[in-house]
Amino acid sequence: MKPLMLHGHERAITQIKYNREGDLLFSSSKDNKPNVWYSLNGERLGTFNGHQGAVWCIDVDWTTSRLISGGGDNSFRIWDCETGKEIGNIEAKSSVRTCLFSYSGNMAMYTTDRAMRNNCEIFVIDVRTVDSSISQAQPILRIPIESSDTRVSSVLWDNLEDTFITGHEDGAIFQWDFKAGKMVKSIKEHSLLINDMQWNKDGTLFITASKDNTAKLFDASDLSLLKTYKTERPVNSAAISPIFDHVVLGGGQDAMDVTTTSTRVGKFDSRFFHMVFEEEFGRVKGHFGPINSVAFHPDGKSYSSGGEDGYVRVHNFDPPYFEYNFDY
Amino acid sequence: MAKKKVEDKNHQSGDNSKNEKEVNYDEEPNFSDPEGYLDNITDEELLADLLKQRPKETDGVESVIVVDGVPQIGPERLEKLKSVINKTFAKMGNIVNEYYPVNEQGHTKGYIFLEYATPAHAADAVKGMNNYKLDKQHTFQVNLFTDFAKYEEIPDEWVPPEPRPYQGQSDLYQFLLEPDAYDMFGVVVQDKDVQIWQNTQPEPSMIEKRENCTQCLIKWSPLGTFLATFHHQGIALWAGAGLTQYKKFLHVNVQFIDFSPCEKYLVTYASLPIDHPDSNKIIIWDIRTGLEKRSFNTEGSTIWPIFKWSHDDRYFGRIVNDVLSVYETPSFGLLDKKSIKNPGIRDFSWSPTDNVLAYWVAEDDNVPASVTLLEIPNRNEIRKKNLFNVADCKIHWQKAGDYLCVKVDRYTKVKKERNENKYSGMYCNFEIFHMREKEIPVDSVESKEPIQAFAWEPVGNKFAVIHGESPNINVSFYEVRVGQAPVLLKKFEKRACNHLFWSPRGQFVVLAGVGATGGGSLEFVDTHDFLVMNANDHFQLSEVEWDPTGRYVVTAVSQWKTKVDTGYWMWSFQGRILKRVNVDKFAMLLWRPRPQSLLGEEKQKETKKNLKRYYPQFEGKDRMRQSKASKELIEKRANLMKKWKDFRDEQIEKYNKLKGKRLLLRNDIDTDDIDGDTNNVEEEVVEFFIKEEITVLE
Repeated sequence: MKPLMLHGHERAITQIKYNREGDLLFSSSKDNKPNVWYSLNGERLGTFNGHQGAVWCIDVDWTTSRLISGGGDNSFRIWDCETGKEIGNIEAKSSVRTCLFSYSGNMAMYTTDRAMRNNCEIFVIDVRTVDSSISQAQPILRIPIESSDTRVSSVLWDNLEDTFITGHEDGAIFQWDFKAGKMVKSIKEHSLLINDMQWNKDGTLFITASKDNTAKLFDASDLSLLKTYKTERPVNSAAISPIFDHVVLGGGQDAMDVTTTSTRVGKFDSRFFHMVFEEEFGRVKGHFGPINSVAFHPDGKSYSSGGEDGYVRVHNFDPPYFEYNFDY
Repeated sequence: MAKKKVEDKNHQSGDNSKNEKEVNYDEEPNFSDPEGYLDNITDEELLADLLKQRPKETDGVESVIVVDGVPQIGPERLEKLKSVINKTFAKMGNIVNEYYPVNEQGHTKGYIFLEYATPAHAADAVKGMNNYKLDKQHTFQVNLFTDFAKYEEIPDEWVPPEPRPYQGQSDLYQFLLEPDAYDMFGVVVQDKDVQIWQNTQPEPSMIEKRENCTQCLIKWSPLGTFLATFHHQGIALWAGAGLTQYKKFLHVNVQFIDFSPCEKYLVTYASLPIDHPDSNKIIIWDIRTGLEKRSFNTEGSTIWPIFKWSHDDRYFGRIVNDVLSVYETPSFGLLDKKSIKNPGIRDFSWSPTDNVLAYWVAEDDNVPASVTLLEIPNRNEIRKKNLFNVADCKIHWQKAGDYLCVKVDRYTKVKKERNENKYSGMYCNFEIFHMREKEIPVDSVESKEPIQAFAWEPVGNKFAVIHGESPNINVSFYEVRVGQAPVLLKKFEKRACNHLFWSPRGQFVVLAGVGATGGGSLEFVDTHDFLVMNANDHFQLSEVEWDPTGRYVVTAVSQWKTKVDTGYWMWSFQGRILKRVNVDKFAMLLWRPRPQSLLGEEKQKETKKNLKRYYPQFEGKDRMRQSKASKELIEKRANLMKKWKDFRDEQIEKYNKLKGKRLLLRNDIDTDDIDGDTNNVEEEVVEFFIKEEITVLE
């Protein structure tokens, strides 16, 4: 089917996320306003106005009542989904790169960049009641990342709120014990920045997308490497289908290199791999810049991609996709 | 190494002294051994590294050379001899001492001693001046002085040398015995390795891999027997089963090589700094013995190949400053001791089948330019054609030697500017020489458009030309028939290509847009009925290589041209993509050539006629391989899937066990499935934008 082109952002998309039911699609961009859309018809529901700089990350809680976002204006903000009003604002010392709700939605995590002699730090805050006083509230957990380690570029939180996983700028992945606030395991399977990490449906596997041209699938319990998906370009985002053994990878030539080459060289396609066989079986063209974020609809019948070109494209799968089977 | 060790020691002792700052240096300590001390350490043990540097008797002698064969003269001419000797030998380095032994009459004895500043210079002098001809009677024999000591020590008793065990040469043509006639190709990945692949079906397989083997270059010999790899020290040839080393040819910094057509000789060229004694040297080697046959200095044009070989390896020639020199093998002397002088001679080329060469001479004031066909060795001019208004010529022989095409760039106006001719109003002629006909008639085809590429069909008598200027690039195919002028068969208009690649078996041709400006377009054309079988592209492709049988085509993007997406793609001759291989730092791919078929023409015709009979046999084989491969793949997948299922089942079991904990976190609402939370369903009306209609109201 012809994809829906969601054009509401003026600059590159940084992250897209579906809510739990999948009826809404949230998007953040380098312009200052996260957007929310109906995933079914691509109609824009509204914007969240308040950030003063690029918005790097967004997340929505499981009840779709609150949205959190972090941005280059050194702020972490909490929004009411229904009204679009800002209900909380925490100032950070440097830009907020990642943010995440816990499984229960009672806590939120965000991480900051290393900049201007401020270390990269992980914060966990209580968000059960949010009002203007939250900016003064003490975080539940605050972990400075030693300068010998590189900054956090993506995070994941398990569905029991026991452990969380951080992906780093140098390709390392750390597993943390949340209650103890300590790192329990670290691996380094990627050689370059990890752009994105996403869960499978039940939170037992996760996929990483790295600048080293690969995406990898890990067992969440012991961080063992299961599968590797290779491409020729940096991978910016990867997602796992909730209904099939499929993964989708989005990426492309770095934005700064694209101007010197033709778009054909860029390879801005979404690429579908079989999760187990690691074989590519399909590509979806469309973006005219690198893809920065991909997400499957929770029902697995459509997926969306957000690109450096400022578009979010919602693709509904055609019947052949559901009929297609690998021989084995 | 020894020096470094000493330094280390010094360093250590320095540290020690720092620690013992309190030591009073004014008072000399007692170095004598205590009484009763037994010195049980030998000097070798204690100072092994220093002893290595101990001066030896030969130290001063190593830079001395002995020159024999010096003219014997009386004392009155000694001064003159000295000045001559000094002049000749000072080239190799600074002479610090000399000695001319004389007899009672004061006559020199015919040998002298010279001492250089360093042993290296002496070694250079031996290398460079041995067998130096001073004049007709006198040839210098130069030796190191130390060599004499060496030879003096030779025992008087002669011990017969052990006969060297015979080393059987492996079968050099082993690669031709491959039962399925799969072809081989070599792949070079820069800074990494050389891989030799066999193009087996359905998947090519790697048969050899050599690491750090080459300076990013390989070359197959013209009949495919040898693989040459380039190294800093020279060329190595590999052959036989498993491509074992065959011979090494030492030539430091070798840059270009060329095989003679029958693989008897190898030509190597290295460019070294000008002050180096071996600078700009071309060496011709005998491949079987590995010996140097003759070396040349480079003069004149340095367009490789400098030497061009006749088809049977009997002659080779080059042009230096208006002179065409033809040499003969195996004597490697100038043919009839005479070069062919012809002012204005620019280029020549051998016929691929006969000992005939074609050369062309540029026009001079009143003399027109000309193309001449010359028989070698009797130097008969068998045809000469004068041409007018010629700017440049290119000589293209048809592979069977039946026709010769000279592409003549012609002008309508010429202006002299600072000794350089500026041409304008360019157009182009193709002069076709019918070699097999009496008197060699010449036909010409004119083209008003600039020519991008020209190529003969390797088997057959067609030629193809790419002409025109972007974006109006056209491709024309001509056929030459006995006794007739070339006929235009077909013209393709407005194509995006700049190079032609004929199948080595003729009939099929690939039109390609090579390089950054070419766009990488590919068209596979059957010239039997001029059908474009397939059109495709390989972005930024830099090479197109047909396999020797004309069944496969490889297009490649080499890292010499671009750094992204390097690798090679394999196509069938009809233009169906078979395989894409992306290799980081991919440098080049070369198919291993095959020698000409040993079957006679009769036999070949017969085989062709009965092709239908052989067809089912091969078809069956192919199908079997295909099904085997797909079976393997399916088995592999089934295995993977089984393992995965087991792993996932375990995970899901664990996950289900933890359901209670999850429910606790989300207020007892089941969110494991998307529709699990039935209380939360709300109906909503959504509008879809279906169609837009604009009605103009009056």
